[in-house]
Amino acid sequence: MENITKSFEGNKVLEELSFHVNEGEFVTIVGPSGSGKSTLFHLIGGLYTPDSGDIRMDGERMNGQRGAISYTPQSPSLLPWRTVLDNILLSGEINGEKYELEALRMIERAGLKGYEQAYPSELSGGMQQRVSFIRSLMSPQSLICLDEPFSSLDEFTRMEMQNWLLSIWEENKRSILMVTHHIEEALYLSDRIIVLSGKPAKIKKEFSIPFPRPRQESIILSDEFLQWKRNIYNELRGT
Amino acid sequence: MVLILLVAIWQLSCWLFEIPKWLLPAPSEIWLEGITGWGNYRSHLVSTVKLSFMGLLIGSGVGIIIAVTLHSLPKLREAFYPIIILTQNIPIIVLAPLLVIWFGFGMLPKIIVITLVCFFPITVAALDGFRHTTAELTHYMKMAGASKKQIFWKVEWPYALPSLFSGLKIAATYSVMGAVISEWLGAKEGIGVFMTLASSSFRTDRVFVAIFLIMILSLIFFALISSLEKIIVKWKPKGEGKN
Ligand SMILES: Nc1ncnc2c1ncn2[C@@H]1O[C@H](COP(=O)(O)OP(=O)(O)O)[C@@H](O)[C@H]1O
Ligand SMILES: [Mg+2]
Repeated sequence: MENITKSFEGNKVLEELSFHVNEGEFVTIVGPSGSGKSTLFHLIGGLYTPDSGDIRMDGERMNGQRGAISYTPQSPSLLPWRTVLDNILLSGEINGEKYELEALRMIERAGLKGYEQAYPSELSGGMQQRVSFIRSLMSPQSLICLDEPFSSLDEFTRMEMQNWLLSIWEENKRSILMVTHHIEEALYLSDRIIVLSGKPAKIKKEFSIPFPRPRQESIILSDEFLQWKRNIYNELRGT
Repeated sequence: MVLILLVAIWQLSCWLFEIPKWLLPAPSEIWLEGITGWGNYRSHLVSTVKLSFMGLLIGSGVGIIIAVTLHSLPKLREAFYPIIILTQNIPIIVLAPLLVIWFGFGMLPKIIVITLVCFFPITVAALDGFRHTTAELTHYMKMAGASKKQIFWKVEWPYALPSLFSGLKIAATYSVMGAVISEWLGAKEGIGVFMTLASSSFRTDRVFVAIFLIMILSLIFFALISSLEKIIVKWKPKGEGKN
Protein backbone atom coordinates (compact mmCIF):
# COMPACT_ATOMS: atom_id res chain seq x y z
CA MET A 1 0.00 0.00 0.00
CA GLU A 2 1.45 3.32 -1.01
CA ASN A 3 -0.05 6.63 0.04
CA ILE A 4 -3.61 5.43 -0.09
CA THR A 5 -6.28 8.10 0.25
CA LYS A 6 -10.01 7.51 0.03
CA SER A 7 -12.99 9.79 0.59
CA PHE A 8 -16.73 9.18 0.49
CA GLU A 9 -18.77 12.20 -0.61
CA GLY A 10 -16.08 14.60 0.50
CA ASN A 11 -15.59 12.75 3.77
CA LYS A 12 -11.97 11.75 4.01
CA VAL A 13 -11.82 8.26 5.51
CA LEU A 14 -8.26 7.15 4.78
CA GLU A 15 -5.33 9.54 4.43
CA GLU A 16 -1.93 8.71 2.99
CA LEU A 17 -1.75 5.18 4.30
CA SER A 18 1.43 3.26 3.46
CA PHE A 19 2.36 -0.16 4.74
CA HIS A 20 3.27 -3.61 3.53
CA VAL A 21 2.84 -7.25 4.46
CA ASN A 22 5.76 -9.62 3.91
CA GLU A 23 5.31 -13.14 2.70
CA GLY A 24 4.19 -15.42 5.50
CA GLU A 25 3.77 -12.52 7.87
CA PHE A 26 0.85 -11.87 10.20
CA VAL A 27 0.13 -8.16 10.31
CA THR A 28 -2.67 -6.57 12.30
CA ILE A 29 -4.16 -3.13 11.95
CA VAL A 30 -5.66 -1.70 15.11
CA GLY A 31 -7.92 1.30 15.00
CA PRO A 32 -11.05 2.70 16.59
CA SER A 33 -14.45 1.71 15.21
CA GLY A 34 -15.48 3.70 12.19
CA SER A 35 -11.89 4.65 11.41
CA GLY A 36 -12.07 3.05 7.98
CA LYS A 37 -10.64 -0.40 8.56
CA SER A 38 -13.28 -2.19 6.55
CA THR A 39 -12.96 0.44 3.87
CA LEU A 40 -9.27 -0.39 3.65
CA PHE A 41 -10.13 -4.00 2.90
CA HIS A 42 -12.72 -2.97 0.37
CA LEU A 43 -9.95 -1.08 -1.39
CA ILE A 44 -7.53 -3.99 -1.30
CA GLY A 45 -10.29 -6.29 -2.48
CA GLY A 46 -11.03 -4.00 -5.42
CA LEU A 47 -14.59 -3.16 -4.42
CA TYR A 48 -13.62 0.51 -4.59
CA THR A 49 -10.60 2.21 -6.09
CA PRO A 50 -8.47 4.59 -4.01
CA ASP A 51 -8.66 8.31 -4.83
CA SER A 52 -4.90 8.36 -4.92
CA GLY A 53 -2.07 5.99 -4.19
CA ASP A 54 -1.24 2.49 -5.33
CA ILE A 55 -1.95 -0.98 -4.05
CA ARG A 56 0.70 -3.44 -5.16
CA MET A 57 0.98 -7.16 -4.84
CA ASP A 58 4.25 -8.84 -5.75
CA GLY A 59 5.20 -5.55 -7.34
CA GLU A 60 2.15 -5.41 -9.57
CA ARG A 61 -0.35 -2.59 -9.34
CA MET A 62 -3.79 -3.93 -8.45
CA ASN A 63 -6.01 -0.92 -7.79
CA GLY A 64 -9.61 -1.95 -8.27
CA GLN A 65 -8.66 -5.49 -9.21
CA ARG A 66 -10.96 -8.09 -7.71
CA GLY A 67 -10.33 -11.62 -6.65
CA ALA A 68 -6.68 -11.08 -5.75
CA ILE A 69 -7.07 -11.68 -2.04
CA SER A 70 -8.92 -14.15 0.08
CA TYR A 71 -11.26 -12.29 2.36
CA THR A 72 -13.20 -13.01 5.53
CA PRO A 73 -15.76 -10.26 5.98
CA GLN A 74 -16.76 -8.74 9.28
CA SER A 75 -20.04 -10.66 9.27
CA PRO A 76 -19.91 -14.30 8.16
CA SER A 77 -21.77 -13.53 4.87
CA LEU A 78 -22.68 -17.12 4.20
CA LEU A 79 -25.27 -17.92 1.58
CA PRO A 80 -28.29 -19.05 3.61
CA TRP A 81 -29.49 -21.51 0.96
CA ARG A 82 -26.21 -23.37 0.81
CA THR A 83 -25.07 -25.99 3.24
CA VAL A 84 -21.85 -25.53 5.20
CA LEU A 85 -19.93 -27.63 2.69
CA ASP A 86 -21.36 -25.82 -0.34
CA ASN A 87 -20.60 -22.46 1.23
CA ILE A 88 -16.99 -23.46 1.70
CA LEU A 89 -16.77 -24.69 -1.87
CA LEU A 90 -18.07 -21.33 -3.10
CA SER A 91 -14.70 -19.60 -3.21
CA GLY A 92 -13.38 -22.45 -5.31
CA GLU A 93 -16.36 -22.33 -7.65
CA ILE A 94 -15.67 -18.68 -8.36
CA ASN A 95 -12.15 -19.57 -9.37
CA GLY A 96 -13.22 -22.69 -11.18
CA GLU A 97 -11.70 -25.15 -8.74
CA LYS A 98 -13.02 -28.01 -6.68
CA TYR A 99 -11.55 -29.38 -3.49
CA GLU A 100 -14.22 -31.29 -1.69
CA LEU A 101 -11.93 -33.69 0.18
CA GLU A 102 -9.73 -30.89 1.40
CA ALA A 103 -12.82 -28.97 2.50
CA LEU A 104 -14.16 -31.94 4.44
CA ARG A 105 -10.81 -32.27 6.17
CA MET A 106 -10.86 -28.60 7.16
CA ILE A 107 -14.42 -28.85 8.43
CA GLU A 108 -13.31 -31.66 10.67
CA ARG A 109 -10.31 -29.69 11.91
CA ALA A 110 -12.58 -26.78 12.74
CA GLY A 111 -14.66 -29.05 14.93
CA LEU A 112 -17.65 -28.86 12.62
CA LYS A 113 -17.81 -32.52 11.71
CA GLY A 114 -21.40 -33.61 11.29
CA TYR A 115 -22.46 -30.14 10.20
CA GLU A 116 -21.37 -30.46 6.56
CA GLN A 117 -24.96 -30.57 5.35
CA ALA A 118 -26.39 -28.08 7.86
CA TYR A 119 -27.64 -24.67 6.75
CA PRO A 120 -26.02 -21.55 8.21
CA SER A 121 -29.21 -20.64 10.10
CA GLU A 122 -28.76 -23.81 12.13
CA LEU A 123 -25.32 -22.78 13.37
CA SER A 124 -24.25 -20.50 16.21
CA GLY A 125 -22.47 -17.23 15.43
CA GLY A 126 -19.08 -18.73 16.24
CA MET A 127 -19.65 -21.70 14.00
CA GLN A 128 -20.77 -19.48 11.13
CA GLN A 129 -17.63 -17.42 11.56
CA ARG A 130 -15.55 -20.57 11.43
CA VAL A 131 -17.23 -21.62 8.20
CA SER A 132 -16.54 -18.20 6.76
CA PHE A 133 -12.91 -18.63 7.83
CA ILE A 134 -12.52 -22.00 6.21
CA ARG A 135 -14.06 -20.57 3.06
CA SER A 136 -11.31 -17.97 2.80
CA LEU A 137 -8.56 -20.34 3.92
CA MET A 138 -9.57 -22.69 1.14
CA SER A 139 -9.32 -20.13 -1.60
CA PRO A 140 -5.99 -20.11 -3.38
CA GLN A 141 -4.85 -16.48 -3.01
CA SER A 142 -1.65 -15.89 -1.05
CA LEU A 143 -2.90 -13.00 1.08
CA ILE A 144 -5.72 -13.55 3.55
CA CYS A 145 -7.60 -10.52 4.84
CA LEU A 146 -9.56 -10.88 8.05
CA ASP A 147 -11.98 -8.13 9.04
CA GLU A 148 -12.58 -8.26 12.82
CA PRO A 149 -13.04 -12.00 12.59
CA PHE A 150 -13.62 -12.54 16.30
CA SER A 151 -15.60 -9.46 17.20
CA SER A 152 -18.94 -11.23 17.42
CA LEU A 153 -17.67 -14.00 19.68
CA ASP A 154 -17.63 -14.29 23.45
CA GLU A 155 -14.27 -14.23 25.23
CA PHE A 156 -13.99 -17.98 25.58
CA THR A 157 -14.84 -18.91 22.01
CA ARG A 158 -12.61 -16.09 20.87
CA MET A 159 -9.53 -17.62 22.51
CA GLU A 160 -10.38 -21.01 21.13
CA MET A 161 -10.77 -19.62 17.63
CA GLN A 162 -7.56 -17.66 17.88
CA ASN A 163 -5.63 -20.78 18.79
CA TRP A 164 -7.30 -22.63 15.98
CA LEU A 165 -6.37 -19.90 13.51
CA LEU A 166 -2.77 -19.87 14.75
CA SER A 167 -2.42 -23.62 14.43
CA ILE A 168 -3.67 -23.57 10.87
CA TRP A 169 -1.57 -20.57 9.95
CA GLU A 170 1.59 -22.07 11.41
CA GLU A 171 1.03 -25.16 9.31
CA ASN A 172 1.16 -23.40 5.95
CA LYS A 173 2.33 -19.88 6.53
CA ARG A 174 0.30 -17.66 4.28
CA SER A 175 0.35 -13.91 4.66
CA ILE A 176 -2.43 -12.57 6.83
CA LEU A 177 -3.61 -9.01 7.18
CA MET A 178 -6.09 -8.66 10.01
CA VAL A 179 -8.08 -5.73 11.29
CA THR A 180 -9.37 -5.43 14.82
CA HIS A 181 -10.07 -3.02 17.63
CA HIS A 182 -9.08 -5.61 20.21
CA ILE A 183 -5.53 -4.97 21.40
CA GLU A 184 -4.90 -8.28 23.18
CA GLU A 185 -6.03 -10.19 20.15
CA ALA A 186 -3.63 -8.25 17.95
CA LEU A 187 -0.76 -8.83 20.36
CA TYR A 188 -1.42 -12.50 20.75
CA LEU A 189 -1.63 -13.23 17.04
CA SER A 190 0.58 -10.87 15.09
CA ASP A 191 4.15 -10.33 14.03
CA ARG A 192 3.54 -6.66 13.48
CA ILE A 193 0.86 -4.22 14.62
CA ILE A 194 -0.05 -1.02 12.82
CA VAL A 195 -1.96 1.55 14.86
CA LEU A 196 -4.42 3.79 13.03
CA SER A 197 -5.81 7.10 14.18
CA GLY A 198 -9.51 7.95 13.85
CA LYS A 199 -11.05 10.12 11.13
CA PRO A 200 -9.36 10.36 8.76
CA ALA A 201 -7.32 7.24 9.39
CA LYS A 202 -3.56 7.76 9.32
CA ILE A 203 -0.81 5.45 10.48
CA LYS A 204 0.26 6.52 13.93
CA LYS A 205 2.80 3.92 14.76
CA GLU A 206 4.06 0.49 13.91
CA PHE A 207 5.15 -2.13 16.43
CA SER A 208 7.07 -5.35 15.87
CA ILE A 209 5.93 -7.97 18.34
CA PRO A 210 8.81 -10.13 19.61
CA PHE A 211 6.92 -13.00 21.26
CA PRO A 212 8.25 -16.33 20.02
CA ARG A 213 6.25 -18.69 17.85
CA PRO A 214 4.41 -20.91 18.29
CA ARG A 215 2.63 -18.62 20.71
CA GLN A 216 1.80 -19.94 24.15
CA GLU A 217 -1.53 -18.98 25.64
CA SER A 218 0.24 -18.15 28.91
CA ILE A 219 1.95 -15.10 27.44
CA ILE A 220 -1.21 -13.06 27.62
CA LEU A 221 -0.82 -12.93 31.39
CA SER A 222 2.88 -12.02 31.36
CA ASP A 223 4.15 -8.60 32.44
CA GLU A 224 5.75 -8.07 29.07
CA PHE A 225 2.40 -8.62 27.36
CA LEU A 226 0.70 -6.13 29.64
CA GLN A 227 3.46 -3.62 28.99
CA TRP A 228 2.89 -3.96 25.25
CA LYS A 229 -0.82 -3.62 25.75
CA ARG A 230 -0.27 -0.39 27.68
CA ASN A 231 1.97 1.00 24.94
CA ILE A 232 -0.50 0.31 22.20
CA TYR A 233 -3.42 1.48 24.25
CA ASN A 234 -1.70 4.80 24.91
CA GLU A 235 -0.85 5.10 21.26
CA LEU A 236 -4.50 4.57 20.32
CA ARG A 237 -5.67 7.06 22.88
CA GLY A 238 -3.16 9.55 21.59
CA THR A 239 -1.33 10.21 24.81
CA MET B 1 -65.42 -21.94 9.84
CA VAL B 2 -66.38 -18.49 8.63
CA LEU B 3 -67.03 -20.04 5.26
CA ILE B 4 -69.43 -22.61 6.69
CA LEU B 5 -71.24 -19.92 8.62
CA LEU B 6 -71.61 -17.76 5.52
CA VAL B 7 -72.98 -20.65 3.49
CA ALA B 8 -75.43 -21.46 6.28
CA ILE B 9 -76.69 -17.86 6.42
CA TRP B 10 -77.04 -17.85 2.66
CA GLN B 11 -79.00 -21.09 2.69
CA LEU B 12 -81.28 -19.91 5.49
CA SER B 13 -82.05 -16.57 3.89
CA CYS B 14 -82.94 -18.27 0.63
CA TRP B 15 -85.48 -20.38 2.48
CA LEU B 16 -86.85 -17.70 4.74
CA PHE B 17 -87.32 -15.01 2.11
CA GLU B 18 -88.21 -17.45 -0.67
CA ILE B 19 -85.81 -15.87 -3.09
CA PRO B 20 -86.51 -17.07 -6.64
CA LYS B 21 -83.95 -19.43 -8.04
CA TRP B 22 -83.03 -17.23 -11.03
CA LEU B 23 -82.18 -14.35 -8.68
CA LEU B 24 -80.11 -16.13 -6.08
CA PRO B 25 -80.07 -19.91 -5.88
CA ALA B 26 -79.48 -21.54 -2.51
CA PRO B 27 -76.16 -23.34 -1.96
CA SER B 28 -77.97 -26.65 -1.91
CA GLU B 29 -79.39 -26.01 -5.37
CA ILE B 30 -75.99 -24.99 -6.67
CA TRP B 31 -74.48 -28.12 -5.21
CA LEU B 32 -77.15 -30.25 -6.81
CA GLU B 33 -76.64 -28.61 -10.20
CA GLY B 34 -72.90 -29.06 -9.79
CA ILE B 35 -73.29 -32.80 -9.22
CA THR B 36 -75.91 -33.58 -11.83
CA GLY B 37 -74.42 -31.36 -14.50
CA TRP B 38 -70.87 -32.62 -14.03
CA GLY B 39 -70.88 -34.30 -17.44
CA ASN B 40 -71.54 -30.91 -19.06
CA TYR B 41 -68.83 -29.08 -17.20
CA ARG B 42 -66.05 -31.52 -17.55
CA SER B 43 -64.90 -30.64 -21.02
CA HIS B 44 -65.27 -26.92 -20.25
CA LEU B 45 -63.19 -27.36 -17.15
CA VAL B 46 -60.47 -29.29 -18.92
CA SER B 47 -60.24 -26.66 -21.62
CA THR B 48 -59.98 -23.83 -19.06
CA VAL B 49 -57.37 -25.68 -17.03
CA LYS B 50 -55.29 -26.20 -20.16
CA LEU B 51 -55.62 -22.58 -21.17
CA SER B 52 -54.78 -21.19 -17.71
CA PHE B 53 -51.87 -23.51 -17.31
CA MET B 54 -50.36 -22.61 -20.65
CA GLY B 55 -51.00 -18.95 -20.00
CA LEU B 56 -49.41 -19.15 -16.58
CA LEU B 57 -46.39 -20.95 -17.99
CA ILE B 58 -45.88 -18.43 -20.77
CA GLY B 59 -46.76 -15.50 -18.51
CA SER B 60 -44.24 -16.61 -15.89
CA GLY B 61 -41.60 -17.11 -18.53
CA VAL B 62 -42.19 -13.65 -19.94
CA GLY B 63 -42.31 -12.17 -16.43
CA ILE B 64 -39.01 -13.73 -15.43
CA ILE B 65 -37.30 -12.81 -18.68
CA ILE B 66 -38.43 -9.19 -18.32
CA ALA B 67 -37.25 -9.10 -14.70
CA VAL B 68 -33.84 -10.56 -15.50
CA THR B 69 -33.35 -8.25 -18.48
CA LEU B 70 -34.34 -5.14 -16.58
CA HIS B 71 -32.21 -6.18 -13.64
CA SER B 72 -29.07 -6.70 -15.65
CA LEU B 73 -29.54 -3.46 -17.59
CA PRO B 74 -30.32 -0.78 -14.98
CA LYS B 75 -30.74 1.89 -17.67
CA LEU B 76 -33.49 -0.09 -19.37
CA ARG B 77 -35.03 -0.67 -16.00
CA GLU B 78 -35.51 3.01 -15.34
CA ALA B 79 -37.02 3.51 -18.78
CA PHE B 80 -39.33 0.52 -18.80
CA TYR B 81 -40.53 0.17 -15.24
CA PRO B 82 -43.20 2.88 -15.64
CA ILE B 83 -44.34 1.31 -18.90
CA ILE B 84 -44.76 -2.02 -17.18
CA ILE B 85 -46.91 -0.40 -14.54
CA LEU B 86 -48.96 1.28 -17.26
CA THR B 87 -49.72 -2.09 -18.89
CA GLN B 88 -51.64 -2.91 -15.74
CA ASN B 89 -53.82 0.15 -16.06
CA ILE B 90 -55.37 -0.95 -19.33
CA PRO B 91 -58.67 -2.63 -18.49
CA ILE B 92 -58.40 -6.15 -19.86
CA ILE B 93 -62.12 -6.16 -20.72
CA VAL B 94 -61.49 -3.32 -23.17
CA LEU B 95 -58.25 -4.69 -24.50
CA ALA B 96 -59.48 -8.22 -25.05
CA PRO B 97 -61.88 -7.50 -27.98
CA LEU B 98 -59.15 -5.46 -29.60
CA LEU B 99 -56.80 -8.40 -29.38
CA VAL B 100 -59.40 -10.53 -31.10
CA ILE B 101 -59.64 -7.99 -33.90
CA TRP B 102 -55.88 -8.02 -34.28
CA PHE B 103 -55.13 -11.69 -33.82
CA GLY B 104 -58.36 -13.52 -34.59
CA PHE B 105 -60.15 -16.08 -32.45
CA GLY B 106 -57.30 -18.53 -32.00
CA MET B 107 -55.15 -19.25 -28.99
CA LEU B 108 -52.90 -16.25 -29.45
CA PRO B 109 -55.15 -13.45 -28.14
CA LYS B 110 -56.14 -15.60 -25.17
CA ILE B 111 -52.57 -16.34 -24.25
CA ILE B 112 -51.75 -12.65 -24.59
CA VAL B 113 -54.53 -11.73 -22.17
CA ILE B 114 -53.35 -14.24 -19.57
CA THR B 115 -49.74 -13.26 -20.03
CA LEU B 116 -50.65 -9.62 -19.52
CA VAL B 117 -52.28 -10.29 -16.17
CA CYS B 118 -49.71 -12.88 -15.05
CA PHE B 119 -46.37 -11.37 -15.84
CA PHE B 120 -46.74 -8.25 -13.74
CA PRO B 121 -46.74 -9.73 -10.21
CA ILE B 122 -43.86 -11.99 -11.22
CA THR B 123 -41.74 -9.24 -12.71
CA VAL B 124 -42.27 -6.93 -9.76
CA ALA B 125 -41.60 -9.65 -7.19
CA ALA B 126 -38.47 -10.91 -8.95
CA LEU B 127 -37.06 -7.42 -9.47
CA ASP B 128 -37.60 -6.65 -5.81
CA GLY B 129 -35.92 -9.87 -4.82
CA PHE B 130 -32.90 -9.20 -7.04
CA ARG B 131 -32.55 -5.66 -5.80
CA HIS B 132 -32.83 -6.40 -2.11
CA THR B 133 -30.12 -9.01 -2.08
CA THR B 134 -28.09 -8.37 1.04
CA ALA B 135 -25.21 -6.04 0.22
CA GLU B 136 -22.73 -8.00 2.33
CA LEU B 137 -23.28 -11.08 0.20
CA THR B 138 -22.72 -9.25 -3.07
CA HIS B 139 -19.73 -7.42 -1.54
CA TYR B 140 -18.20 -10.71 -0.60
CA MET B 141 -18.79 -12.16 -4.04
CA LYS B 142 -17.30 -9.12 -5.74
CA MET B 143 -14.20 -9.14 -3.59
CA ALA B 144 -13.78 -12.84 -4.19
CA GLY B 145 -13.58 -11.97 -7.87
CA ALA B 146 -16.96 -13.30 -8.97
CA SER B 147 -18.22 -12.21 -12.36
CA LYS B 148 -21.59 -10.52 -12.82
CA LYS B 149 -23.00 -13.77 -14.08
CA GLN B 150 -21.72 -15.68 -11.07
CA ILE B 151 -23.13 -13.09 -8.70
CA PHE B 152 -26.48 -13.35 -10.43
CA TRP B 153 -26.75 -17.13 -10.44
CA LYS B 154 -25.10 -17.83 -7.12
CA VAL B 155 -26.52 -14.98 -5.06
CA GLU B 156 -29.21 -12.83 -6.60
CA TRP B 157 -31.26 -15.55 -8.23
CA PRO B 158 -31.49 -17.84 -5.18
CA TYR B 159 -32.03 -14.82 -2.98
CA ALA B 160 -34.99 -13.72 -5.10
CA LEU B 161 -36.59 -17.16 -5.25
CA PRO B 162 -38.89 -16.81 -2.21
CA SER B 163 -40.03 -13.44 -3.47
CA LEU B 164 -40.43 -14.84 -6.97
CA PHE B 165 -42.68 -17.54 -5.59
CA SER B 166 -44.89 -14.95 -3.90
CA GLY B 167 -45.30 -13.39 -7.32
CA LEU B 168 -46.00 -16.77 -8.87
CA LYS B 169 -48.75 -17.50 -6.37
CA ILE B 170 -50.52 -14.27 -7.22
CA ALA B 171 -50.02 -14.92 -10.92
CA ALA B 172 -51.39 -18.45 -10.58
CA THR B 173 -54.70 -17.17 -9.25
CA TYR B 174 -54.79 -14.39 -11.83
CA SER B 175 -54.18 -16.86 -14.63
CA VAL B 176 -57.52 -18.61 -14.04
CA MET B 177 -59.30 -15.26 -14.06
CA GLY B 178 -57.43 -14.27 -17.20
CA ALA B 179 -58.39 -17.51 -18.89
CA VAL B 180 -62.08 -17.01 -18.10
CA ILE B 181 -62.04 -13.42 -19.35
CA SER B 182 -60.32 -14.49 -22.54
CA GLU B 183 -62.95 -17.17 -23.05
CA TRP B 184 -65.69 -14.58 -22.91
CA LEU B 185 -64.28 -13.15 -26.10
CA GLY B 186 -65.23 -16.12 -28.06
CA ALA B 187 -64.20 -19.67 -27.61
CA LYS B 188 -65.82 -22.98 -28.28
CA GLU B 189 -65.26 -24.32 -24.82
CA GLY B 190 -64.29 -23.24 -21.35
CA ILE B 191 -65.79 -22.10 -18.08
CA GLY B 192 -65.97 -18.58 -19.47
CA VAL B 193 -68.13 -19.77 -22.35
CA PHE B 194 -70.26 -21.85 -20.05
CA MET B 195 -70.73 -18.84 -17.79
CA THR B 196 -71.89 -16.58 -20.62
CA LEU B 197 -74.34 -19.19 -21.83
CA ALA B 198 -75.70 -19.77 -18.33
CA SER B 199 -76.19 -16.11 -17.52
CA SER B 200 -77.87 -15.32 -20.87
CA SER B 201 -80.37 -18.11 -20.21
CA PHE B 202 -80.91 -16.98 -16.59
CA ARG B 203 -79.49 -20.20 -15.19
CA THR B 204 -78.12 -18.43 -12.17
CA ASP B 205 -77.39 -21.71 -10.45
CA ARG B 206 -75.03 -22.60 -13.29
CA VAL B 207 -73.35 -19.22 -13.09
CA PHE B 208 -72.63 -19.94 -9.47
CA VAL B 209 -71.33 -23.39 -10.27
CA ALA B 210 -68.95 -21.72 -12.71
CA ILE B 211 -67.88 -19.18 -10.08
CA PHE B 212 -67.14 -21.94 -7.60
CA LEU B 213 -65.25 -23.92 -10.20
CA ILE B 214 -63.09 -20.86 -10.88
CA MET B 215 -62.43 -20.43 -7.18
CA ILE B 216 -61.53 -24.07 -6.67
CA LEU B 217 -59.29 -23.99 -9.70
CA SER B 218 -57.48 -20.91 -8.38
CA LEU B 219 -56.98 -22.59 -5.03
CA ILE B 220 -55.56 -25.69 -6.67
CA PHE B 221 -53.15 -23.63 -8.76
CA PHE B 222 -52.12 -21.75 -5.64
CA ALA B 223 -51.54 -24.98 -3.73
CA LEU B 224 -49.49 -26.40 -6.58
CA ILE B 225 -47.17 -23.41 -6.60
CA SER B 226 -46.90 -23.56 -2.82
CA SER B 227 -45.82 -27.18 -2.86
CA LEU B 228 -43.39 -26.45 -5.66
CA GLU B 229 -41.94 -23.72 -3.47
CA LYS B 230 -41.54 -26.11 -0.57
CA ILE B 231 -39.61 -28.48 -2.79
CA ILE B 232 -37.31 -25.84 -4.27
CA VAL B 233 -36.76 -23.41 -1.41
CA LYS B 234 -35.53 -25.71 1.32
CA TRP B 235 -33.67 -23.18 3.41
CA LYS B 236 -35.49 -20.91 5.79
CA PRO B 237 -35.69 -17.44 4.31
CA LYS B 238 -35.15 -14.59 6.76
CA GLY B 239 -33.89 -17.09 9.31
CA GLU B 240 -32.94 -15.63 12.65
CA GLY B 241 -29.50 -17.27 12.42
CA LYS B 242 -27.94 -14.18 10.92
CA ASN B 243 -27.55 -11.28 13.26
N1 LIG C 1 -19.75 2.96 0.68
C1 LIG C 1 -19.63 3.98 1.55
N2 LIG C 1 -20.22 5.17 1.29
C2 LIG C 1 -20.11 6.20 2.15
N3 LIG C 1 -19.45 6.16 3.30
C3 LIG C 1 -18.84 5.01 3.65
C4 LIG C 1 -18.91 3.86 2.80
N4 LIG C 1 -18.22 2.85 3.38
C5 LIG C 1 -17.75 3.35 4.54
N5 LIG C 1 -18.10 4.65 4.71
C6 LIG C 1 -17.75 5.50 5.84
O1 LIG C 1 -16.39 5.30 6.12
C7 LIG C 1 -16.15 5.31 7.51
C8 LIG C 1 -15.36 4.10 7.91
O2 LIG C 1 -16.14 2.95 7.79
P1 LIG C 1 -15.54 1.50 8.02
O3 LIG C 1 -14.42 1.30 7.06
O4 LIG C 1 -16.64 0.54 7.97
O5 LIG C 1 -14.99 1.59 9.51
P2 LIG C 1 -14.45 0.42 10.47
O6 LIG C 1 -14.43 -0.83 9.71
O7 LIG C 1 -13.09 0.87 10.89
O8 LIG C 1 -15.37 0.38 11.65
C9 LIG C 1 -17.51 5.40 8.19
O9 LIG C 1 -17.67 6.70 8.70
C10 LIG C 1 -18.49 5.11 7.10
O10 LIG C 1 -19.64 5.90 7.27
MG1 LIG D 1 -15.48 -2.52 10.00
